Amino acid sequence: MPEPAIVARDLRKGYGLKLAVDGLNLEVPRGSFFGFLGPNGAGKSTTIRMLTGLIPQDSGSIEILGYQLPQQELEIKRRIGLVPDESFLFDRLTGLEFLEFAGRMYGLPRATAVDRAHGLMHLFELADDGKIIGEYSKGMRKRVAMAAALIHHPDLFLMDEPFEGVDAVGARLMKDILLDQVRRGATIFLTSHVLEVVERLCDRVAIIDHGKIVMCGSMEELRAGGESLEDAFVRIVGADRQMERLDWL
Amino acid sequence: MIAAILRAQFLSMRWGRGKGSIWRFLPLTIWYLFWLASSVFAFVLAREADLASLRRDLPIGFLGVTVYWQFMPMLSASMGMGLDLRKLRIYPAVHRELFLVEVLLCFTTAVEMLLVIAGGVAGLLANQEAGGWAAAPRILVPALLLILFNALLASGTRSLLGRLLARRKIREVVILVTTCLWMLPRILVQYRIHPKWLGPVEQALRGPKFPWSAAAAAALGDFTPFLTLALWLLAALWFGRSQFERNLRYDAVAAQAMVVRKDASRRRGVGEAFFAFPRLLWRDPLAAIVEKELRSLVRTPRFRMVFVMGFTFGILVWLPVVLGGNGARTGGSGYFLVFVCIYALTMLGQVTYWNCFGFDRSATLFYFAAPQPISQVLIGKNIAAMVFVYLDVTILSAVVGTFHLTAGWGQVAETLMVVGICAVYLLGLGNMASVNYPRPLNPENVSRGGSSGRSQGLLLLFYPVALMPVFLAYLARWALKSELAFLAVLAIAAVIGCVVYWIGLDSAVIAARAKREQLFLALTQGEGPIASE
Repeated sequence: MPEPAIVARDLRKGYGLKLAVDGLNLEVPRGSFFGFLGPNGAGKSTTIRMLTGLIPQDSGSIEILGYQLPQQELEIKRRIGLVPDESFLFDRLTGLEFLEFAGRMYGLPRATAVDRAHGLMHLFELADDGKIIGEYSKGMRKRVAMAAALIHHPDLFLMDEPFEGVDAVGARLMKDILLDQVRRGATIFLTSHVLEVVERLCDRVAIIDHGKIVMCGSMEELRAGGESLEDAFVRIVGADRQMERLDWL
Repeated sequence: MIAAILRAQFLSMRWGRGKGSIWRFLPLTIWYLFWLASSVFAFVLAREADLASLRRDLPIGFLGVTVYWQFMPMLSASMGMGLDLRKLRIYPAVHRELFLVEVLLCFTTAVEMLLVIAGGVAGLLANQEAGGWAAAPRILVPALLLILFNALLASGTRSLLGRLLARRKIREVVILVTTCLWMLPRILVQYRIHPKWLGPVEQALRGPKFPWSAAAAAALGDFTPFLTLALWLLAALWFGRSQFERNLRYDAVAAQAMVVRKDASRRRGVGEAFFAFPRLLWRDPLAAIVEKELRSLVRTPRFRMVFVMGFTFGILVWLPVVLGGNGARTGGSGYFLVFVCIYALTMLGQVTYWNCFGFDRSATLFYFAAPQPISQVLIGKNIAAMVFVYLDVTILSAVVGTFHLTAGWGQVAETLMVVGICAVYLLGLGNMASVNYPRPLNPENVSRGGSSGRSQGLLLLFYPVALMPVFLAYLARWALKSELAFLAVLAIAAVIGCVVYWIGLDSAVIAARAKREQLFLALTQGEGPIASE
């Protein structure tokens, strides 16, 4: 059996007195489409940032694709594709230029990077019209970000809300591309608040709340009682309560 | 509404307070001490002057105040505080109240002038010939009206400039023309040029039709100029208010949108030659970083502005100094090229090496996510900065050579060496500042400061340290009258500079790893409803 794509043990990260991630244990099998869910402020983005080495953990260990973090940070970075929650695109480059830049930063020869950048621009239906990224719509920026994550053909994708702000056509395109990646053996670790998307795409799910994993298993296990993912999620994070009403509202 | 805006601003600013504040106040204290001294000087002049001198010189003094108030914010690339209308437009705010806040904020750009006027007015009150304390209302009212006129005019100018500078291409031309206009009187005086039109213009400026002369005449006892002053005030109110209203309806995004040109590919072809050269000299990822940096900076209005100012403003400022009072060369003319090139190097620092992640903002995260050491990123950014520094130096050399202000190729070579050595020190210190005191920069905003307050305070310390070795080399040449001594000290300075650079780079890399969270946080911070520019 191949080693897991992600192994996190007793991961902790605090900001002042608040523990954003509190003893998180997680194992993501290779080749899985893994949904990482949780309410706002549960610690999802902090976890992804720790898994990519963008922020150091306070304690605990992380192993990505068999490499230890932070000891083998560069080896890990070469093999992962990242779509973070906030924009990491350079606004003054065109989409094509950014993709070429990203490819070269990941060690591709320039000719290959240019070639792939053109291919990805076409695949993501982005026009090479000389417009800089600063003038792109939010959906277009997300497409460029995902294209940049694909350019070096990584084995593991870490995506924080990749479909946020993307229209239905764009989202369908991105989902098809991601499913293709899983079919070829890549692992996808994604967070999303759109539970219908997670339900349709992911085969495994973990739910984090208050910095701890409160549920982890296959989609079938989660929906064992015939619940929808949304019902199960609300039940697990304890948000299943009567809505309060305000007199004036 | 006003209270809500001010409270939101206060709450937004509280996170900016901290250790950096002391460093921010250091240069400010020096600056305002200078203006306090100017205020005392104005007091003494106004107190000691006789009535005839006051009638002759007070209009010119008030004209100086007006010119400084209106032009200095543009030249210092610091437009002071103003409402961020993009954030406030969505609320059902009364425009009149917003305008009032905007006008009040205009005083932040001209505290210096308020000090000078206060000094001058206090001097008039102490001067019995001008009426003394008995004439306090007569002296104070015109002064206050002139202040209000300037605030309203500055508000309108700021709104107008805000829209003009948002347009591609136009902003550089506007600043360039403004710079030249500002320098024109100085050059005329310096060269003792008296064109025929200057006399009538000078007379007109002293005449009673302008607000400064009307204010001066009113302060000295004439009552009819009050009407002139009131009319100017109304005109300024109309200008300020109408420009503010236009700003409220202005679509900056549409103005900034890049028009897709049919010949875009040909234009790109020309630019590509420039952007391609890093590939010839370095391997990826360094070449990719340098190339990215060149592309980004060339397309960043704020950078382009400073780059243009680097070779224009430098020449305009230093040329009269070097040429002396009658246009003849002074002893300093032999160092003119070095002066202006080091000036350009320090100018570019604000938008490059002192805060090298400023324009990348949240995209800085990419450098930490990509598989290369952060030292490569810093080196790449330093190389790109040096490309532009040497581009400025090349342009300056060509201009200075055209006017025969250099001693030939030897001096150009010397300048290249000296600038390179100074740059090595500054880049080493800049890398540390970039990582420890990062600040997000709006690439579209041509008037916002580059480095953080703390970093700006440190510049007071850094510049003398960085420039000292080169100064010592020149000192050795002068004292020993030996080119060999000069070159020897320069060589030692270069070696020490390399050591400083590598230590700076190393400590920046360590700090970047240790403080990466603070770095991301600082580079993604937003602002309150009032933007400080």
